[in-house]
Amino acid sequence: MLRLPQFELLEPSSVYGALAALAEHGEAAMVVAGGTDLLPNMKHGLFEPGVLVSLARIPELTGIHVQPDGALHIGAMTPLAVVAADERVRHQAPSLAQAAGQVAGPQLRNQGTLGGNVLLDTRCQWYNQTHFWRQALGYCLKKDGTVCHVVAGGKRCVAAASNDTVPALTTLGAELRFERLGAERVIPIEELWQSDGANNKRKEPGELLTAIHVPATPAGHHGAYGKLRDRGSIDFPQLGMAVRIDLDAEGRVAHADQVVIALVARPTRIKGTEALVGLTPGTEAFQTALEELAESARRQCRPMDNIPGDAAWRREMVRPFTRRTVLAALDGTGPVTG
Amino acid sequence: MQVLQFELNGDPIEVAAPPHWTLLEVLRYRMAMTGTKQGCDKGDCGACTVLLDGQPVLACLTLASNARGRQVTTIEGLLPAHRAAGGSGADPVQEAFDACGALQCGFCQPGMMLSTRALLNRNPEPSRAEIQEALSGNLCRCTGYTQIVQAVETAVAQACGKPAPVAAWQRDLEEN
Amino acid sequence: MASRDQHGTQPPWGESFQVVGKPHRKVDGRAKATGSAVYADDIQLPGMLHAKLLRSPHAHARIISIDTSRALALPGVRGVITGADLPTKYGVIPWTMDETALAVDKVRFIGDPVAAVAALDEDTANRALGLIDVQYEALPAYLDPRQALEQEGEPIHANKRGDNVSKHVELSFGDLDGAFEGADLVLEGDYSFHGSTHGMIEPHCAVAQVDSAGLLTLWSSTQITHYVHRALAHVLDLPAHRIRVIQPCLGGAFGGKSDPFALEFVTAKLAQITGRPVKMLWTREEVFYAHRGRHPMQLHYRTAVDKDGTLRGVDAKILIDGGSYSSFGLVTTYYSGQLLTGPYTFPSYRFDSTRVFTNKPPCGPKRGHGSVQPRFAFEVQLDEVASALDIDPIEIRRRNFLGEHTKTVNGQRITSNGFLECLEKVERASGWCERRGKLGRGRGLGVAGSMYISGTNYPIYPNDMPQAGIQIKADRSGVVTIFTGGNDIGQGSNSVVAYLVAEELGLELDAVRVIAADTDLCPVDLGAYSSRVTFMVGNAAIDAARKLRKQVVQAVAEKWEVDPARVRLVGGFALDLEDSERHIPSCEAFQIAEARFDTLGATGSYNTPTLGGDYRGGTIGASPAYSFTAHIVEVEVDEETGRITVPKVWCAHDCGRALNPMLVAGQIEGSVYMGIAEALLEHHQVNRFGLHAGPSLLDYRMPTTMDTPEIEAFVVESFDPEGPYGAKEAGEGPLHSAIPALANAIYDAVGIRLRDLPFTPAKVLAALAEQREGAQQPQPTV
Repeated sequence: MLRLPQFELLEPSSVYGALAALAEHGEAAMVVAGGTDLLPNMKHGLFEPGVLVSLARIPELTGIHVQPDGALHIGAMTPLAVVAADERVRHQAPSLAQAAGQVAGPQLRNQGTLGGNVLLDTRCQWYNQTHFWRQALGYCLKKDGTVCHVVAGGKRCVAAASNDTVPALTTLGAELRFERLGAERVIPIEELWQSDGANNKRKEPGELLTAIHVPATPAGHHGAYGKLRDRGSIDFPQLGMAVRIDLDAEGRVAHADQVVIALVARPTRIKGTEALVGLTPGTEAFQTALEELAESARRQCRPMDNIPGDAAWRREMVRPFTRRTVLAALDGTGPVTG
Repeated sequence: MQVLQFELNGDPIEVAAPPHWTLLEVLRYRMAMTGTKQGCDKGDCGACTVLLDGQPVLACLTLASNARGRQVTTIEGLLPAHRAAGGSGADPVQEAFDACGALQCGFCQPGMMLSTRALLNRNPEPSRAEIQEALSGNLCRCTGYTQIVQAVETAVAQACGKPAPVAAWQRDLEEN
Repeated sequence: MASRDQHGTQPPWGESFQVVGKPHRKVDGRAKATGSAVYADDIQLPGMLHAKLLRSPHAHARIISIDTSRALALPGVRGVITGADLPTKYGVIPWTMDETALAVDKVRFIGDPVAAVAALDEDTANRALGLIDVQYEALPAYLDPRQALEQEGEPIHANKRGDNVSKHVELSFGDLDGAFEGADLVLEGDYSFHGSTHGMIEPHCAVAQVDSAGLLTLWSSTQITHYVHRALAHVLDLPAHRIRVIQPCLGGAFGGKSDPFALEFVTAKLAQITGRPVKMLWTREEVFYAHRGRHPMQLHYRTAVDKDGTLRGVDAKILIDGGSYSSFGLVTTYYSGQLLTGPYTFPSYRFDSTRVFTNKPPCGPKRGHGSVQPRFAFEVQLDEVASALDIDPIEIRRRNFLGEHTKTVNGQRITSNGFLECLEKVERASGWCERRGKLGRGRGLGVAGSMYISGTNYPIYPNDMPQAGIQIKADRSGVVTIFTGGNDIGQGSNSVVAYLVAEELGLELDAVRVIAADTDLCPVDLGAYSSRVTFMVGNAAIDAARKLRKQVVQAVAEKWEVDPARVRLVGGFALDLEDSERHIPSCEAFQIAEARFDTLGATGSYNTPTLGGDYRGGTIGASPAYSFTAHIVEVEVDEETGRITVPKVWCAHDCGRALNPMLVAGQIEGSVYMGIAEALLEHHQVNRFGLHAGPSLLDYRMPTTMDTPEIEAFVVESFDPEGPYGAKEAGEGPLHSAIPALANAIYDAVGIRLRDLPFTPAKVLAALAEQREGAQQPQPTV
C-alpha cells in the first residue's frame, strides 16, 4: 500500500492550541483539516512535514452560524457535505451549496472541509503523481525540479487552482478569517491568490484559516455552479464556474458576476458581466447579451494542459457552460454538469 | 506509537499504532479486521469505506487517531448489530446484495454495503437517483452497478413491505 | 472426444431442473456479504516480511550495474534480490518466454521491476529501495508501434531478424480476390482502438511461505493457478511437487491476473532466502504497470458486398501495439483475425496482423481478448455498408446470418447459434422499428452483433491431458465436497459447479461445498481465461457427479430391491418413484452407498474434441461452442459540448443454457458497462516520456454509478449439444458489440462516423465541425 511518510501528530483542542503549535514548529509544521487533499499528496511524497497539526478536535472550527445581518459564518472545518446540505446555505448561497456538493464523492465530502477546499493545493498532471513517477520524469518546476512540462521553457508554475467552492465564494464576496498567534486578519477571498502555481496563496506562515464569512444576499439573488468533468462523481473540475445574478424588484439584473476555476493557478473573474445589468432575463436583449458574455468569457479563459482533459476543448466549454450556468442560476436548477 | 481508544462495531477497543498509520491500516493490519478493503491507496475507489459516527468515510484517508473516541463501523459490524436488534440472518442490505447477485468478486462490496447502510439509515426510501448519488464514491468493476442498485431497491422494498423490483432479464424469462 | 464429455442438455431427473436455471445465491455470497471472505492481502502469517520492488525509471535502458549493499545494510532489511537471482525466462506462452521476474541486463518500460527488498515492514522496504544503486545506459525508446516497426536502433528484444516484431500472422480463406472483383460495393476504412486496462478493484498480491523441508506455498491473486504453478517450478528450478499454489478469494481480474507476475517469483525467492513468509501487495500504480490490458490496434478493413448486402469478402490489416513483452501476444495476434468469422457468413476472408513491441507496459488479455478491437472496426464498417446500401442495420445482419451447426470460412465448427433471437430481443425491447430515426437529431440507436469462444482446444502448452478435472467426495454426513482447479474470479464458477453437482445428486445447495484453486487439493484446471470455465469445468463436474450418482442409485436400489430406474435423488432425498412412502435423506443414501462401495468419491474431466482448421494456428480460437450477442445502444449527443451520454443499452446474449440466469445477467451487465466505459472514458495512455499518463483510479476514469447506463440484459438460451446441460460462455462475449453499437448509435444520432476510439468530446466536436464543412462522408468505392 502507498504509505504516509512519518510525522509527529499534534491534535490541539482549541484554535489557540493550534496557533501555538504552528508558532512553535514553524515551517516544519503543516495543518491537516479533512486530509482529503493533503494525505494523498503526502503519500505522493509532495509534502513531508515533520509535524502535522490536526484540526479534527477543535469544535469551535465547525458549524454554520447566521449573523444578525444575515451573513453566514462558516467554520473552516465544516464538512463540505454539511455546507452542501444546509438549508440556509442552499437558500442564501445556492452556488456555494452546489459547488460543495460537487466536490469529489460522498465519502470525501463527509471528510473534506470548506476551509480545506479553499486552501486546496494546485493540481497538475506532472505533479499529482507518486515519487517514483516524478523521479522517472525528472521532476517538475513545482516540486523538486527545474523544468515545467506544461509550458516549454516556462519559468513559473502553471498548476491549476481546482477548488470547486472558490468561484462561488468569490461571487458571493466571501471573506476569509486568518488567525495567527496574537493576530488576525480578514481578507476578501480574491485577495488570497497569486499567479504562481507552486504557491498560489498569500498566506503567512503560522496562519490558520478559521472561518469563511459569506455576506447576506439580497432577495433577488440567484446563483449556480457549473462543473465540467468526465465523470458524475469523484473527479476534480476540468472547468468550474460560479455565476451570480441578483435581480431587482422589477426582475431586472441588478448585479452579475462570474468566476472560473481550473484554468491556471488562480481563479479568473470574467470581465464584462455588467453587460447583463439592467436587462430582464427571458428577453431577447438578455439572451443576446448572454451569448456575447459567453463568447467573451471563452476568449478570457485560457486553460492549459496542466490537468487531464484537452485544453482546447476545455476552453470551448466555457461558452456553453456560461450560458447554461447563468440560465440554471435564474431557474434554480443548478448545478450544471457535463 | 500512540494508543487509541475507540468503539469498533460496538466494542470498546484499545490499539497502539504509529501516528502515520491510517485507520485502514490499523483495522486491517493491527486489528485483523480485513473486511475493509484497499483498492487504490489514496481515496479514489471507495473500497475502504467505513462508517465514522455513522457517516461513510474513506479509511485510507483517515488518520487512525481521528477515530479516537468515536464509533467505527466496518462490514464485520453489520450482522452482529442486526442480530443485537433482534433480527435474524444478516443485515437486510447484506441479504439483498447476496440475493440479487450484487456480489461478484465482492471486493468493492463491503464499502458499497456500508455506503448503502448509511443511506438507508438517513433515508429509508431513497429514489434511484438518490441511491446512485450515495454510491457514486464506490467504484465497482464487476456488476455495472445494475444488480447493486437492484439490491438496494430490494432492501428498501422489503423494509417498506413493497414488491421487489424486477429486472429485464427476470421479466423476460417469466414471459417465455 | 470421449463419450463422457457428452452429457446432453436435459435435466438429469425427470422433466425439470431442480437447481439449474434458477437465480440461486452464490456459494460464497454470505462470506462476501459479511466481510469474512479471505483475499490475498487478508492473509497475515507470523513473522511475515513485506517485500517491495525497485522499478525502472527508464523506458529502455541497459543495466550497467546494481549495488544492493547499502540496502542490505539497512536495519530491518532481511533480503535483497536482483535479476541475477531469478535469471530464468518465463512467459505464459511456451514459445515466447521473454520475461524475467527482475530485469536482467535490460529494462523495457518505465515500471519494469529491477530489484526487490524484503523487510520487517513496508516503510523499511521502501527506504531500502532508495538505497539500491542502479547504473543505467539509456537507449532510445519506442513509444509508437509504427516507429517500432520501422526501427533502426537496438530492438527491444534480441531476435534473429533484429526487429521489433512480436508476432506476424497472415491467413487467407476462400477466393478473396474474386470476391472483391465481382462486388457491387466495396467499403474501405481505417479504424483505431486505444489501450484500456482491467481495473479490477483488488490490486495484485502474493504471499509465499517455505517450510523447513523446503515446500513452497504461494497464495496469489491469480486467475490461473496452474500456470503459476508451472512457472514457479520452471523459474525456481524446483520440482512442481514441492510447490503448492493457492488462489484465495479474488477481487476481480478480467484477464489482468492471467500471466505469472514478478511478485509471485519474488516473494517465493525471498521466502526461500529468508526462511520467513513474505508478502507483496502492489500499489495501484504498480497494477497499472503490470497492465496486460487491451492492445491498442490500428485496423484497416475492406469489405465487399452484393447490393442486397450479402457479404462477399472481408480483408483486414492490423497493427497491434504489444508493449514491452510477449505475454499472450501470440494468441492475441491470432485472435485479432480468427474470431471475426461469425455471426455472419464470410465467403472469403483474409487478415494480416502484426504485433510489435514498444517500450510501454505490456499488453495482454483483457475481457474479449484480441477480438474486441476488430469487432469494433468490422461492425462499424458493416453499418457503413448498410447505410450506403440503404438497408436497415439489423436487417443486413440477419441477411448474413451464419446459421447453426455449420462451419466458418476459417474452419471453426459452429454448434448452437441463437444470434437471430438475440437480434430479435433487442430489436423489440428497444423499440427499434418505432423509434430509430424518429428520436430527433442528437438522439439515436445503434446495433451490433458478435460472437465469442467458450474456451478453445489450444491448451497453451501442448499436452494430451484433460483441460479440466474435478474430484468429488461424498460424506456420511450428507455433505458433498467438490474439488476443482477452476479459478473463481468473481464470475461465480465455484457456484456453477455446486449447482451442477447438486442437480446431479439431488442435493440442496447447503449440502455442497466447493474447494477450489489449490494445487495440493484440487485436480488441474487450466484456469479462468478464454471463457472456458463454465463449459469445461462444468462438463467435468457433471462427469464426476454422474459416476457418483450411479453408485448411490445402484446401492440404494439394491438395498430396496428395486430397479435402479425407480430411484431418484432429489431435494436432499432418495425416493422410490413407485412408492411414495419410501424415501430416505441423502446422507442415508450415501451411507448405504459407502457400505456397498467403500469410501465414496469420483473424478471427472473434460477435454475438447478435435477442432479447428487444418493449418498453422488453426486450433487457436477453435472452440467447442460459441456464444452470440446483440447490442442496441441508445445515445444522446450534446452537440455543443461533444459529450456523449448513454441512457440505455439493451443486450441479448446467447449463453446456451443459463445455469443461473442471475449470474448470466450479471456478466452481461458488467460486460456492457465495461465496453461503454472504454469507449467513452477510459484510456490507458503513455505520455511522451514513456510514463503512464495517469496510473491511478482518479486519472484512469472508471465509471461511477452516475456514469453507467441503464442496462437491460436478456438471456437467450440456444442449448448447446456439448455444453454442460447446454451451457456456453457469458463472461466476455457481451462486451464486444457494445462498442460498435455505440459508434453506430452516434452516427444515427448526428450523422458522424467515429472510427477512432475513445470517443472523447473533443473528437465529437471535431467530427461535427467536419460534417458542417461537408468533409465527413463515407467513401464507398465501387
